[in-house]
Amino acid sequence: MQLDHRIPSGPLTEKWDRFRFETNLINPANKRKFEIIVVGAGLAGASASATLGELGYNVKTFCIQDSPRRGHSIAAQGGINAAKNYQNDGDSIWRLFYDTIKGGDFRAREANVYRLAQISNQIIDQCVAQGVPFAREYGGLLANRSFGGAQVSRTFYARGQTGQQLLLGAYSAMMRQVKAGKVTLHPRSEMMDLVVINGQARGIVTRNLITGAIESHAADAVVLATGGYGNAYYLSTNAMASNVTATWRAYKRGAAFANPCFVQIHPTCIPVHGTYQSKLTLMSESLRNDGRVWVPTRIGDKRPPAEIPEPERDYYLEQKYPSFGNLVPRDVASRNAKEKCDQSKGVGDTGLAVYLDFADAINRLGEAAIRQKYGNLFDMYEKITGQDPVKEPMTIYPAVHYTMGGLWVDYHLMSTVPGLFVLGEANFSDHGANRLGASALMQGLADGYFVLPATISSHFSESAMVPITTSHPAFTEAIDTTKGRIQRLLSINGKRTPDDFHRELGLLLWDHCGMARNEAGLKLALGRLPELKENFWYDLKVTGSGADLNQTLERAGRVADFIEFAEVMILDALSRQESCGCHFREESQTAEHEAKRMDDTYSHVSAWQYQGEGQTPQLHKEPLVFENIQLSQRSYK
Amino acid sequence: MTIIHLTLKIWRQTGPESKGSFKTYESGPITTAMSFLEMLDVLNERLILNGEEPVAFDHDCREGICGMCGSVINGTPHGPEKKTTLCQLHMRHFKDGDTLVIEPFRSRAFKLVKDLIVDRSAFDAIIAEGGYVSVNTGGTPDANAIPIPTFMAEQALDAAECIGCGACVAACPNASAMLFVGAKISHLALLPQGQPERSKRALAMVKKMDELGFGNCGNEKYCEKSCPKGISISNIARLNREFMRAAFCSEE
Amino acid sequence: MSWIIKVFRSSIGKKYIMAASGVCLSFFLLAHLIGNSVSFWGKEAYNSYASHLHSLGFIIYILEILLLLLFLIHIVTGITLFIENLSARPTRYAIQTKERNWSASTMPYSGILILLFLLVHLLNFHFITKTVSTAELVKTTLSNPLIASFYLLSLSGLTLHASHGFWSLFQSLGINHPKYNIFLQRGGRAMAVLIGMTFILIPLLIVTTDSFLQ
Ligand SMILES: Cc1cc2nc3c(=O)[nH]c(=O)nc-3n(C[C@H](O)[C@H](O)[C@H](O)COP(=O)(O)OP(=O)(O)OC[C@H]3O[C@@H](n4cnc5c(N)ncnc54)[C@H](O)[C@@H]3O)c2cc1C
Ligand code: HEM
Ligand code: SF4
Ligand code: FES
Repeated sequence: MQLDHRIPSGPLTEKWDRFRFETNLINPANKRKFEIIVVGAGLAGASASATLGELGYNVKTFCIQDSPRRGHSIAAQGGINAAKNYQNDGDSIWRLFYDTIKGGDFRAREANVYRLAQISNQIIDQCVAQGVPFAREYGGLLANRSFGGAQVSRTFYARGQTGQQLLLGAYSAMMRQVKAGKVTLHPRSEMMDLVVINGQARGIVTRNLITGAIESHAADAVVLATGGYGNAYYLSTNAMASNVTATWRAYKRGAAFANPCFVQIHPTCIPVHGTYQSKLTLMSESLRNDGRVWVPTRIGDKRPPAEIPEPERDYYLEQKYPSFGNLVPRDVASRNAKEKCDQSKGVGDTGLAVYLDFADAINRLGEAAIRQKYGNLFDMYEKITGQDPVKEPMTIYPAVHYTMGGLWVDYHLMSTVPGLFVLGEANFSDHGANRLGASALMQGLADGYFVLPATISSHFSESAMVPITTSHPAFTEAIDTTKGRIQRLLSINGKRTPDDFHRELGLLLWDHCGMARNEAGLKLALGRLPELKENFWYDLKVTGSGADLNQTLERAGRVADFIEFAEVMILDALSRQESCGCHFREESQTAEHEAKRMDDTYSHVSAWQYQGEGQTPQLHKEPLVFENIQLSQRSYK
Repeated sequence: MTIIHLTLKIWRQTGPESKGSFKTYESGPITTAMSFLEMLDVLNERLILNGEEPVAFDHDCREGICGMCGSVINGTPHGPEKKTTLCQLHMRHFKDGDTLVIEPFRSRAFKLVKDLIVDRSAFDAIIAEGGYVSVNTGGTPDANAIPIPTFMAEQALDAAECIGCGACVAACPNASAMLFVGAKISHLALLPQGQPERSKRALAMVKKMDELGFGNCGNEKYCEKSCPKGISISNIARLNREFMRAAFCSEE
Repeated sequence: MSWIIKVFRSSIGKKYIMAASGVCLSFFLLAHLIGNSVSFWGKEAYNSYASHLHSLGFIIYILEILLLLLFLIHIVTGITLFIENLSARPTRYAIQTKERNWSASTMPYSGILILLFLLVHLLNFHFITKTVSTAELVKTTLSNPLIASFYLLSLSGLTLHASHGFWSLFQSLGINHPKYNIFLQRGGRAMAVLIGMTFILIPLLIVTTDSFLQ
C-alpha cells in the first residue's frame, strides 16, 4: 500500500491557496449529477452535508440518532479555538499552528495543521453569520477565554455548551438544504458496510434501526464522519451510540487505520461509582483554574477531607510542576492521578479518585464569585453525586475522552480507498498524539465546511466515474455479509449480554492500554483478546429478532467490532515504543518520570492495513517531516 | 450508599400499530447513586438473561444535552426533578417501595415507535421550514463586524439552549409545540443575523407546526415546568408577537 | 384578503381571537359589574340605573347584538380549540401530574358553565315580559335558593375562568415583560377575584338578608 499524503508543494503558508488554485473545478451545472453519501451528522457530517448541498451536489446523510441534531458533538462544553487575535495578546495563525503541533507532541503533519489554523478564523465568521450566540463583551464584541493551558485567549464559547450551539448551527444549515431538496436525511440508520467497486468507494449498506431492514445506497463518493471510538473502553465521556463500526468496516474494505493507540484521557471527570455505571461525565477542565488537586499523604487514609489537616495533604501537581501547577496538560494531570491511586492514596468509596478542592479559591474570592464562574458545573456535579462542591471538595478521576487515531487520510481527507473521505474525529486528524482543548470542534468544522467541499471536486474531476446502481454484485455481497452477521449474532443464544462483554473488554483496555502502557501488559491484553472474542461468539445472548427495533442487537454488533478493533489498538501501542503525548510507554521515560519521545525512530504516522480474517494487520509508516518548526521535548516543570 | 426497591409499571408496545399495555416489574436492588436510565439498564440486563425483550428507550449522551432521552414518570415528563433530563435524574430522589409508572411521550405528532420510544421527526420538519439563517458557507463578514449587546446574546442563548427533547409537547395538556417553536423563533429574532428572514420564518414555522397536528397553546405553563433547560414561556409570548408582526405588518 | 383567513385559521391566530374577544368581554363584564353595583346603594338607585339604561333605546340594541357576536366568536373559537386540543393527544396518560394548574386546565369547562349561566341568566332577566321593577325582579328571582346557588356556582366558575383568562390574554397577544409580568399575573388574578366576588355578593345578600334591595 502506498501512503501518498498528496501535500501540495511550496511554502507552508501558501499550500492551501495553491491547492485550491491548481485543483480542477466542477462546472456548477454538473455538480447536481454527483451523489454523495455522508455518514454521520455531528459537526463534521452536518457541516459537510450543508456545504455540499449548497454547492449543488446531491447528498444523502445518515445518522444513528432519531434526529441529526443529536450527534455527540453536542456534548462539547469548553469552546472552539481560532486565531482571530481579537484580544490583541499576540496570537496569530502561526502561533495556533505551532501550539497545535507542539500540543500533539510533534506527531501531526505540518501542512494539515497549518491549514487548520488558517481556516479557524473563517469558521468563527461562518458560525456567527448562522446565528450561533457566542459569549460577548459588554461592548458587543466576541469574548474569548484561555483554555487548556494556552498562553493566549483564543477560545470562543457559548456558556458551557459550545458544541451544542455549533452543532445546532451546522444542523440548521443542513436542514435548509433538506428543505431545498439537496440533502436527504436518513436518521436512525446505522452503516454496516462499505461497498467498494473497481477500487473506489461507491456505496454503503445500512440497517434501518426501526424496521431492521438492510438497505443499500450507491453514490459517487462516501464520506465518513462517524466520530471517535473511545467507547472501546466501555466507560468514556462519549455518548452511548459512539462506535467504531463504520470506520472498522471501512478498514476491513481496505482503508488504513492510523495511530489507533492515541487515545486522550481527560483528567477531570466524575469518578466511577459502581459496576452498573454506563458512562462517565466530563467536568470542564476550566475547573482547574481555581481548584487545587490533592490526595492524603498517608496511604489508605479514609478520613473525610475536612478532617485531614493541611500538612497531611499532598498537592502533588503543585509540588511536582511548580510553574504550571494544577494547569498541566491533560495527559500529565491524568497520569499523575493514576499514579497516586496506584499508590493507594486515592479517595472516595472506590479509591479511584482525587480531590479537586475549591476551599482556597472560595476563601480568596468569596463563594459568590466562585459560583458565578462555575455554577452550572457545580450544579451538574451535584445532580450526579448529590454533593455540593462548595461544602466539600469535588472528587475527580480521569476518563477516556477523545481518540486522536482514526482512518488514515491524505491532505484531501481521502482514505487509502479512493472516493472514501473521512472527516472529524473519525480520521486520524491533525492532533498528533494529543489534542489540545477546544481544537476538535475547530477541526470537525474545518473539515466539513471548508476542506472537503474543496477537495472532493478534485476527486470527481480526476477519476473516471462509471455509473453504478445497487444491483451491482458488490452490493449483493455486502448485504449478504451483513445479514449473515446479524443472523449469527441472533442465533448464539448464550448466557451473557452484550454489555457484559463490553465491560470486560473495557476493563482490559483500561488496565493495559490506558493511561500508562508497558510491553508486558500490552502483550497480556493481546493474548486475552482471542479468548474474549471466542467467548463472545459462543456465549452472547441477544433477544428479539432482526426485523424490528432491537437495541440489544445494535449493541452486540458494536461490541463485536470493538473486540476486533482492540487488537489493532494494542498492536499499535506495542509497536510504538516511545512515549509521546497521551501514549505513555513506561519503558520510555526521562529520569523525572516524564514522557520521552524518540524522534529518530518514531517520527511517523502508523497506518495499519487489514490482511484478512485471523491475519495480523500490516503496519505502514508515513514519515513526518518538519521543515518549519523545531522539535522540542515538552516540559512543564 | 443506600439500596432501594421499586415497583415499575412500564408501557410495553411492540410497534406503532400494535396495542400496548402496562407491565409490572420489580426493580430488584437499586443503589441510590444510579441514574434513572442505569436503573432501566439493570432491569434490561435481567430481562435479556431471562430471554425477555428488554424495554426499548431512547438515550445517547446521558449528560442532559442531546435531548434523546425522556419518558413520563408518574405523569411528569423527565420525572420529578426540576430542570433535569431523565438521564440526569438520579435514584436518590426516590424512596424504597415507591411505584413508578413509566409512559412514553404522548401526542398525535409524536408517533410511538416501540415501548418508550417515539418519533420526534416533526421537530426537524419544523426547523426545515425556517429555523436557520440562509447563509451559504463562505463569504460571511468578519465575526466582529456586527456588535451585539451582551444581554441580547445572552437572551438568544437562553432560548437556543433548547435540546429538542419534546418534553414540552409531552407535558402540555394540549400537546402543543409552542415552547419548542417559540425558543427557536426567539433565538433568531433576538439576533441581528436573524432579521432578514424574521417574518418569513415565523409564518412558515407556525404553518408547519399547525399542519403536523400539534395542539394549541392554552398558556397553562406545564411546558415551562417540565422543560429540562428551563426555557421560559416568555419565548412563547415573543413567538406570538413575531407572528402578529409577520401576519399583519410584513409584506410576506 | 385570503391572508386574513389564513391568519385566523392558524393556531396562534385563533388565540388572538380568544384574547381579543376576551378583552371585549372583560370590558363588558366590568361595565355590567359597575351597573349592578348600584344595587348596593338601594332599590331606588338600582331602578333608576335600569331605566337610564333602557332609555338608551336602539344604542343598547346595537350593543346587545355586538355582545352576542362577541360571545359567539369567543365560544365558537373556544370550542374549536377544545376539540383540536383533544385530538392532539389521542392516547391519554395513565397518571396525571400532581402539580395541576386548575384555573388554566378548566378553561373549557368553566367556559361552558358560564355559557349555561348565560342562558339561564338571559331567561331570568332578558327574555321575559317585565311586570315589576328591575329591582323587584332581581330580588324575587334570586330569592329562589335553587337559582341563587346556581348563580353562586357559576359566578365562582367565572372567577376561575377570568383568573386565568385575564393574564392569559396578555400572553396570547405577546405582552410579556420581565418587569411587568408580576403585575399582570397577580393583578389579573386579583381583578378576577374582585369582579367575581362583587357579583357573588348580590345573590348572597339577597338570600341572607331581607333588607337588601327592599
Ligand atoms: C464530553 C465532551 C466534551 C468535549 N469538549 C470539547 C471542547 O470543549 N472543545 C473541542 O474542541 N472538542 C471537545 N470535544 C471533542 C469534540 O466534541 C468531538 O471530537 C467532535 O465533536 C467530534 O465530531 P464529529 O462530527 O467528528 O463526530 P460526532 O459528533 O461524534 O458525530 C458522529 C456522527 O456519526 C454518526 N454515526 C456514528 N456511527 C455511525 C454508523 N455506524 N452509522 C451511521 N451513523 C453513524 C452519529 O450518529 C453522529 O451523527 C469534547 C468531547 C466530549 C465527549
Ligand atoms: C360564555 C361562555 C364562555 C365560554 C364557552 C368560554 C370559553 C373559553 C375557552 C375555552 C377559553 C380558553 C381558550 C384556550 O385555552 O385556548 C377561554 C378563554 C378566555 N375567556 Fe372565555 N368563555 C366564556 C365566557 C367568557 C366571559 C364571560 C369572559 C369575560 C370575562 C371570558 C374571558 C376569557 C378570556 C379573557 C380568555 C383568555 C383568552 C386567551 O387565552 O388569550 N370568557 N374562554
Ligand atoms: S423547549 Fe424545553 S422541553 Fe421543549 S424541546 Fe426544548 S428543551 Fe425540551
Ligand atoms: S440522553 Fe442525552 S439528554 Fe438524556
